[in-house]
Amino acid sequence: MSSTDFKDGLIKEIPNLRAFAASLSGSMQLADDLVQDTLLKAWGNSDKFEPGTSLRAWLFTILRNTYYSLYRKRGREVQDSEGTYAERMATHGNQESHLDLADFRKALAKLPEEQREVLIMVGATGLSYEETAEICGVAIGTIKSRVNRARTKLAELLSIGSLDDLGPDRRSAAAMQRIGSETVGS
Amino acid sequence: MSDVDSAMATPDGDGDQDSELTLDPRVQESIGRSLKAHYDDIVNAPVPDKFLVLLAQLEATENRAAGASTDELN
Repeated sequence: MSSTDFKDGLIKEIPNLRAFAASLSGSMQLADDLVQDTLLKAWGNSDKFEPGTSLRAWLFTILRNTYYSLYRKRGREVQDSEGTYAERMATHGNQESHLDLADFRKALAKLPEEQREVLIMVGATGLSYEETAEICGVAIGTIKSRVNRARTKLAELLSIGSLDDLGPDRRSAAAMQRIGSETVGS
Repeated sequence: MSDVDSAMATPDGDGDQDSELTLDPRVQESIGRSLKAHYDDIVNAPVPDKFLVLLAQLEATENRAAGASTDELN
């Protein structure tokens, strides 16, 4: 692969890298630092990229490793100072989704990192469960269970899916379901 | 249906023992939509010029280095 092709490949992935980095770090500013580091590392290690494999998955692996080794603490500090994430990011696009985007982001930021990253990778980036498992270095079953836990936690944080939000019929159905699962679980 | 959609629509995972985690499909769908809205919002935002400048510089440096080593050989 020529360096121009490689460069073009990197340029195409920048928007996805920014979105993933912002989802991980909770800050657009940290995200852009993280993307810059990722691009530098990718360029320096371009000989290690195997053409024909997913450039996105390769870059996400670099970005994620960089985040966990260098940025995690900073990310937490920024989140503690509150507001940065939602304020900076709730500026683009429409809000057709019936959950308010800013509220959703606040809830997303509260998820444990290991749940948040897989939910984003599987649910928004176009990466497969297999690729996600490889990027995170864990089994596919682990990814699936993290995704499930992440969704449940999000529903809880956003107060959707609680019994009060469902009609009376659903409430009893949900109660039945719970009784059923308790029986199975015991 | 894309891989992503079908992946998101499948609540049961192997080895997942948390059966109480099965969410209402409408709740799952709503979360899925919000997730995409959050992510795509950033994907569709303008890319700062500094990244393109950085990559152009890296490429120029590499081309110069390649040119220099060719000169040395000659």
